[in-house]
Amino acid sequence: MDLQDVQSWLNDVLREASVQFHKVPGSAIFLRYVKSSYQNDPVRSAVELFLVLFAIRYLAAPAYSTQKKSYVTLSEEACHLSSGIDVLLTSLKEVDELVDEWTPEPLVAPQTTFEEAENEKRPVIVGPTGPKSKLSNGRTVANLASYNFYNLVSNETLKEKAIQVLRTYGVGPCSPPGFYGTQDVHIKTEADIAAHLGTPACIVYAQAFSTISSVISAFSKRGDIIVADRAVNYAIRKGIQISRSTIRWYEHNDLQDLQRVLERVVTEQAKKPLTRRFIITEGLFENVGDMIDLPKIIAFGRQYKFRLILDETWSFGVLGRTGRGITEHQNVDAAEVDMIVGSLAGPLCAGGGFCAGSDSIVEHQRISASAYTFSAALPAMLATTASEILSMLQTSPEMLTTTRENIKTMWAQLDPRSDWVHCTSSADNPIMILAFKSDLIASKKLGVADQEQLFQEVVDETLANGVLITRLKSMPRAINATSKDVGWELQPALKVCVTSGLSKKEIERAGITIRHAITKIVNKRR
Amino acid sequence: MNDGKKSRRRRSSSLIYQEPPESIEHMSDQSALPNVNADWVNAKGAWAIHVICIIGLKLLFDVIPGVSQETSWTLVNIVYMFSSYLMFHWVRGVPFEFNAGAYDNLNLWEQIDNGDQYTPAKKFLLSVPIVLFLLSTHYTHYDLTYFTINVLAVLGVVIPKLPSSHRMRVNLFSGGPEDR
Repeated sequence: MDLQDVQSWLNDVLREASVQFHKVPGSAIFLRYVKSSYQNDPVRSAVELFLVLFAIRYLAAPAYSTQKKSYVTLSEEACHLSSGIDVLLTSLKEVDELVDEWTPEPLVAPQTTFEEAENEKRPVIVGPTGPKSKLSNGRTVANLASYNFYNLVSNETLKEKAIQVLRTYGVGPCSPPGFYGTQDVHIKTEADIAAHLGTPACIVYAQAFSTISSVISAFSKRGDIIVADRAVNYAIRKGIQISRSTIRWYEHNDLQDLQRVLERVVTEQAKKPLTRRFIITEGLFENVGDMIDLPKIIAFGRQYKFRLILDETWSFGVLGRTGRGITEHQNVDAAEVDMIVGSLAGPLCAGGGFCAGSDSIVEHQRISASAYTFSAALPAMLATTASEILSMLQTSPEMLTTTRENIKTMWAQLDPRSDWVHCTSSADNPIMILAFKSDLIASKKLGVADQEQLFQEVVDETLANGVLITRLKSMPRAINATSKDVGWELQPALKVCVTSGLSKKEIERAGITIRHAITKIVNKRR
Repeated sequence: MNDGKKSRRRRSSSLIYQEPPESIEHMSDQSALPNVNADWVNAKGAWAIHVICIIGLKLLFDVIPGVSQETSWTLVNIVYMFSSYLMFHWVRGVPFEFNAGAYDNLNLWEQIDNGDQYTPAKKFLLSVPIVLFLLSTHYTHYDLTYFTINVLAVLGVVIPKLPSSHRMRVNLFSGGPEDR
């Protein structure tokens, strides 16, 4: 009996439900749709039903993020309290606690004892710099720590011309070159550099350091490929980093390895969409001081279809008969190099940097190189000084030979004679980089920190004897950098910058002082 | 740090692989400017345009003489599915130079709402092809050929929209992965 009751009740409910359903507007259409869609084919209906159910499930699902969370979640109890105001108060309290607990890392790490000692003894030059500089302790020392290779710092005619330009043009243009910053002197300097090098065009930047970084990132973008020497300087590294390009390193100055890397890139990329490809290297390496074999690298670039970005920061104004750089030194047409980047600030004693190349290469940078478009143009007096020095290099190239003779003199005192250090620089490089010999490092078990400590002691010792030199400090390590990120470690070294402002005798004496200081410090260490 | 590097490597041998998580440079470039390429799906009128386009397509195929209702609905279905596949799942990256190419490996669907799943825009964009399919199968009177074509077309755009196929790539279609 019970079963029958249930059945009749169920029938009633169903009848009622169907009546109610028919009253809903649009139910007739829905029924007709279902009826017609069935069409004696349950599979199709099942597919449609599945799709509808899936869509309903998708629509009902709550949104979630696929990104990693970068914030702290509040504790469970704060989120699950029943009363709204309580939730607010507890979570606010918790936020306050979290804020109080948080101690930020210092912006600058505390000084190490080594840095502290170095800063304490740091020499301060009083008055104008020059081959002989006066220090704050009253002593006058031979300055072999500045890039004053041709003693242009003390050149009176240059000074007077700069003052004249200062009076007519003022200090700086205070505007990027693309707005109102370009003055006639900038155009003249660009033309002068292009004519001096023998390239079709040239662009002048306001800062030497940011020139190469901007040039790299103006041409090479994410997905493009850069093949670079492992020992390239810090500015190039920064340029590669902001360009977001794919980077392949080759061993320092190893042409075989360069060829191997280029071949690998070509085979890897054979079936992929075409990308821009660049070789980046330096004429004279800032970190090691040696020279590249430019004709071979150009030939590789041609063979494997890579463009060459050549950083001549330390070779422009130094190498070659008239200081045109490595292209003149190795008898290469400068137009063969796609981009020559150089500095007007180092050996030329003016300011700013440049990139020389074809017309299209230069014009592209005028709108897309960040250091050119976003920073104020070079002060007019620096531009005219650079032009002036270029004409001096052309008319009286003998100023280069004086420095070269001084380099030879200094070499003779240090590299063959010293038992402890060897010079990694090229014989034409006025920046002599002196690193410990490998057998010394092995026999005394010197770590990087030990070598730095020893060289700092050598610097202090030579300063006490009236010669100012410095250590190689051109590769600051990035915060949190791993060994993979760096890829190449700077070998601790001394840096001696030869100048023509000192006589042969004085250079000789300075060389002897340095050599004796090295011997004294190394012998003191057991 | 080293582990982080490893997980970003893709295995080129497998047929299906997942786009690895973004590096810190990618993330900072992506957040440098709003992604105008993907943000428009949340803009006013962006939803209505789908309906308008579908009605427009239907009218277009209807006025062509000799096209039956069945063919017309199937064509509307196919054209909409194909063009939305092209737009949301095939083309990768951003056509503007705003993010230094940081979106080069992601298609539009993966860029929408920063890759969040089940957002209103994504729910709408998934419902449109399903509703269109139900309509078109209904009006093609369940002919088996038309039904098969339509069901394949709808699967073609629904499967890539699933959260589980987020950042998934099939080697067959898209070529081998790139090292970063």
